[in-house]
Amino acid sequence: MIWVYRLGFLALLVVLWILAAQQFGRNVVPTPLATFEAAQRLIAEGRLLSALGASLTVYLSGYALAIVCAIPVGVVMGGFRILGKTLEIYVFALAATPRVAFIPLIIVIMGLGVDAKVFIIFLGALMPILINTYAGVLAVDDELVEMARSVGSSRQRIFISIVLPSAVPFVVAGMRLGATIGLINTVVAELYTAVSGLGGLLAIYGNTFRMAEYFVVVITLAMVGVVVTEVLRHFETRLARWRGAN
Amino acid sequence: MRAMPKDLAGGEQGQQSRFPPAIRFDRVSKSFASAGGRAAVLALQDISFTVEPATFVALLGPSGCGKTTILRLADGLIRGDTGKVEVFGAPPKPGPNIGFVFQTFRLIPWASVQDNVEFALKGPLFSQAERRERANRHLELVGLAEFRHAYPGELSGGMKQRVALARALATEPDILLMDEPFASIDAQTRELMRIELMRIWTDRRPVVLFVTHSVDEAIILADRILLLSPRPGRTVKTIEVELERPRWAYDARAEPRYVELRSFLSERMRELVLSDPSSEFYGRDLAPPADR
Ligand SMILES: Nc1ncnc2c1ncn2[C@@H]1O[C@H](COP(=O)(O)OP(=O)(O)OP(=O)(O)O)[C@@H](O)[C@H]1O
Ligand SMILES: [Mg+2]
Repeated sequence: MIWVYRLGFLALLVVLWILAAQQFGRNVVPTPLATFEAAQRLIAEGRLLSALGASLTVYLSGYALAIVCAIPVGVVMGGFRILGKTLEIYVFALAATPRVAFIPLIIVIMGLGVDAKVFIIFLGALMPILINTYAGVLAVDDELVEMARSVGSSRQRIFISIVLPSAVPFVVAGMRLGATIGLINTVVAELYTAVSGLGGLLAIYGNTFRMAEYFVVVITLAMVGVVVTEVLRHFETRLARWRGAN
Repeated sequence: MRAMPKDLAGGEQGQQSRFPPAIRFDRVSKSFASAGGRAAVLALQDISFTVEPATFVALLGPSGCGKTTILRLADGLIRGDTGKVEVFGAPPKPGPNIGFVFQTFRLIPWASVQDNVEFALKGPLFSQAERRERANRHLELVGLAEFRHAYPGELSGGMKQRVALARALATEPDILLMDEPFASIDAQTRELMRIELMRIWTDRRPVVLFVTHSVDEAIILADRILLLSPRPGRTVKTIEVELERPRWAYDARAEPRYVELRSFLSERMRELVLSDPSSEFYGRDLAPPADR
């Protein structure tokens, strides 16, 4: 049922798009048809897919790296209160600094290649996952922990069977945030470092006012975002089966 | 769950007596640091009592007087500030030998009913097959065998409380700490659960510390009733209930002794609340209640 509404809203957007194309002129806002034709062209030339491939490679590498680093660090910070208390203000400080500020430094150290791009994405996705994991570990229900103690569970078992599972929803929420920020940083990285991927196409078509092609790239990026967050949502509902149908 | 016969339990210690009490509180006080740096709350003051093996004790007292705190001390989950708590002659250690039914159920939301009960049975003491068997048996006892694959979120409050009950009973502990275990259960089921509890108690003879607000429940179940004062909790009175067991076999409520105890305890409870300056009902002139 929700899909009917969603498709209805999509139709509304297309209508608005057509109106905008008429209003601003095709050179500024291409019609849906012109965009569709441009998409066919870009796909036939293989440019769209190779750009998508390049972007996805750096995006998924940086994102995976962020997950692999952020979750253990968050868990350890939450598990050892003193360590967590010591590090948290630095983590919050780093999270509050716009990551774009580091790009010149990253370029100086890592150059303009794939490494630098992956690192920029990594840096963007890291903090939300880390902070959420940390918060999730701290948010454990003390009453449940006491229950586990009362049946004689060891500290280890309490951590594994109570603390970690209760942090999972937080971790997944952090991963969704990280996925979005990572995608933004993918485009930023492709614009700031060696121009490549979808970000690169965006720059080329934007600068040369080939708006139909430009729109194709924007829509592709939006679709990547939707696919990634939907996959994570699916993952989340599977993990949270116990919440019941409500 | 202990294999050794009850009359030998703790016999090895054999210092003062051949039967060290199952539970002993010796002038125990406990205060809690309150959040926001306000003055600490004195929850219990100089609590002393002993419970012999195979005794059913009800803790009766107004809200906030420290009943839950007494149970947590007896389980070894927290330590008193002063005084001494001993269980079978040693400082209490939480584990399968002490079952705890928490006031707030405390079920693991992402685990099925069955897994919640088995959670208490993890460890080297029980084999996989034995865990299954014990969980099933105790879920049957509380009437929830059909719901073993349900998650706690799918159960009513009364059902959750029965799962918590099954979890505490499943290890067949020597000591059962029960914090208003029937409070959320409907009247009919509560009656059945009381009878089941009395059956278990008659079979296995665990020591029970049973917290309740209900004077009737205390009299029907307990050998002894500890009446506690409002915060800070102190033992005001210890009353032996000399009604013949099994009490479900006859109408104990009709006994003169029952009626007498009931009106005495109700009266004292009301006095305690009305004379407590920190109670919301302090100084109110309330007529004694008619029979419920
Ligand atoms: N963890 C805690 N931190 C701070 N204060 C606490 C804590 N636990 C209990 N208290 C305080 O100690 C007093 C006794 O609490 P307790 O939970 O033992 O009461 P109770 O007799 O079980 O009450 P009720 O019948 O309402 O369950 C209360 O005044 C409460 O405010
Ligand atoms: Mg309580």
